[in-house]
Amino acid sequence: MNDKPSTDWTVDELMVTTLAATLNNDDQACNGMASFVPVCAFQLARLTHAPDLVWLASAIGLDARPERVPASTLEAPLWRDSIMYLEQYSTFWDIVLNGRWLQKFCVGAAQLDRYGNGNNSVIGDVYHRPKVRLPGTAGLGDMGSIGKRLFFWNPNHSPRSFVEKVDFVSCAGWLGGGDERERLGLTGGPELVITNLCVMDFHAETRHMRLKSLHPGVTLEQVQEATGFDLLIEDSAVLETPVPTVNQVRLIREVIDPDGMRLREFGR
Amino acid sequence: MSKEKLTSLAEAIGTVPDGATVAIQNMATQSAPMASVRELIRQGHTGLEVVALIGGIPIDLMAAAGTMDRFTGAAVSMEQFGLCQAYRSAVESGRIVVQELSETALNARLGAGARNLPFLPTRGMIGTDLIAINPNLVMVPDPFGGPDVVACRALIPDVALVHCHRADRFGNLQMEPTAVWPDIGIMPKAAKKVIATVEEIVDTELLRSSPEKTILPGFMVDAVVEVPFGAHPTSFNPRYGYDTAFHREWIAVSRDPEGTSAWMQRYVYEPDTQDEYLERVGGTDRLEALTRWEITE
Repeated sequence: MNDKPSTDWTVDELMVTTLAATLNNDDQACNGMASFVPVCAFQLARLTHAPDLVWLASAIGLDARPERVPASTLEAPLWRDSIMYLEQYSTFWDIVLNGRWLQKFCVGAAQLDRYGNGNNSVIGDVYHRPKVRLPGTAGLGDMGSIGKRLFFWNPNHSPRSFVEKVDFVSCAGWLGGGDERERLGLTGGPELVITNLCVMDFHAETRHMRLKSLHPGVTLEQVQEATGFDLLIEDSAVLETPVPTVNQVRLIREVIDPDGMRLREFGR
Repeated sequence: MSKEKLTSLAEAIGTVPDGATVAIQNMATQSAPMASVRELIRQGHTGLEVVALIGGIPIDLMAAAGTMDRFTGAAVSMEQFGLCQAYRSAVESGRIVVQELSETALNARLGAGARNLPFLPTRGMIGTDLIAINPNLVMVPDPFGGPDVVACRALIPDVALVHCHRADRFGNLQMEPTAVWPDIGIMPKAAKKVIATVEEIVDTELLRSSPEKTILPGFMVDAVVEVPFGAHPTSFNPRYGYDTAFHREWIAVSRDPEGTSAWMQRYVYEPDTQDEYLERVGGTDRLEALTRWEITE
């Protein structure tokens, strides 16, 4: 096993390893539609530092073992060789809502604002006559409000996706910032945002999105330009995102996702 | 003696009134009662409120044909094949009104419908804009002193359309081990009426050899129709996978009214039987090859 830093890593692999590092051995994790980066991260964590991580593939298949990442993260054969199929109405939501299990959730959203509120519903001012009808809230409307620690991933960091204010809140983040979540009785909340340019977290009091680390080769100006709001930047605290190891890159390329399905999320 | 439920698709779907609330089984590219959906379109039904957890191609077809004018559900997407463009433009122009809600909210609404309750609560959606746009969701205090919860009003669909692996002629429905979404887990229990298509009709004695696979008793089911490949082009695991080429063919024409209309003629209006439909989509040999574990495109 070669734990030296890779010299030919690509940004998709960097996002996968950064997300994988947020998962622990005693975690449970689940994924929804079109979630290639999280699925690769779960698989990588299981093959490296978190062998006992329990993966609820597509919210269906307990501890699934797909041979490789398939064309869909919601469909067979992702749930290949599961130990159990989780009937969604009862078993899956009982696991998720109980609070004892599945503390973390990975969120992909079309729009995200400075407080980590997510929008997957509509673009435009009038909900019933939207400029663009997006897919809809799906599981996000629940996951943002039921105490989960939220990890966002966005492979296309741009002012279109990082906006001053989301047009519609379909996933509750830190709402208006400060203690607004707490006042509504909500626990959990947005923790980390991983993009193709950088990693961001949230200020502990104001809950403003804050630059945590730049990916190697990315400049501060690039990130600011790609962000539609004033990102909180504490110059002295900005780090460089650790790059994948040789072994991690090998596992992603050769074992987990040899067909490169994860690349479908990039360059949209 | 059990009641005979075996009928034809035309007769079963003919009982759906215009303007009805129709719940359909479907999860993006999975397990939709497509033969029933095509029959709804063929018969010219209009004004339907369609309920689905995550709708895919059936929603897009009914949006394109003008079959539905309301959608209640958590999302509409064909996942890897993209957004449903006909649905999307119908919503953007105001022809379809969306009552969007989270997954636990839809489950709560259907659960309340099934159990004869006025509502069930959820903790989901608090802090989002979803509550304000939906008249069937209201924040209420916890009578026992905890934080407020969201009351989700009972939803009782007029009819639920489902597709299952097998049934006897009395409507006892069986599913093979597979993903079981709420559209099977709760929707048919909440609906006033259930219309089921199945891959095959079998003798009741065969059901007795694997009672653990029976998911709905015949007395809950109003009509059952044998329709092989009845979920095509969606997947019906573990029997067959989704049809990539067919989804792409629809995506390619669905932005263009002329292309859409020709496509509808060819695959929805003209085929008079399921056999004819199956011939037009490439024949059963091709469909048998859409196996579940090898899909990589």
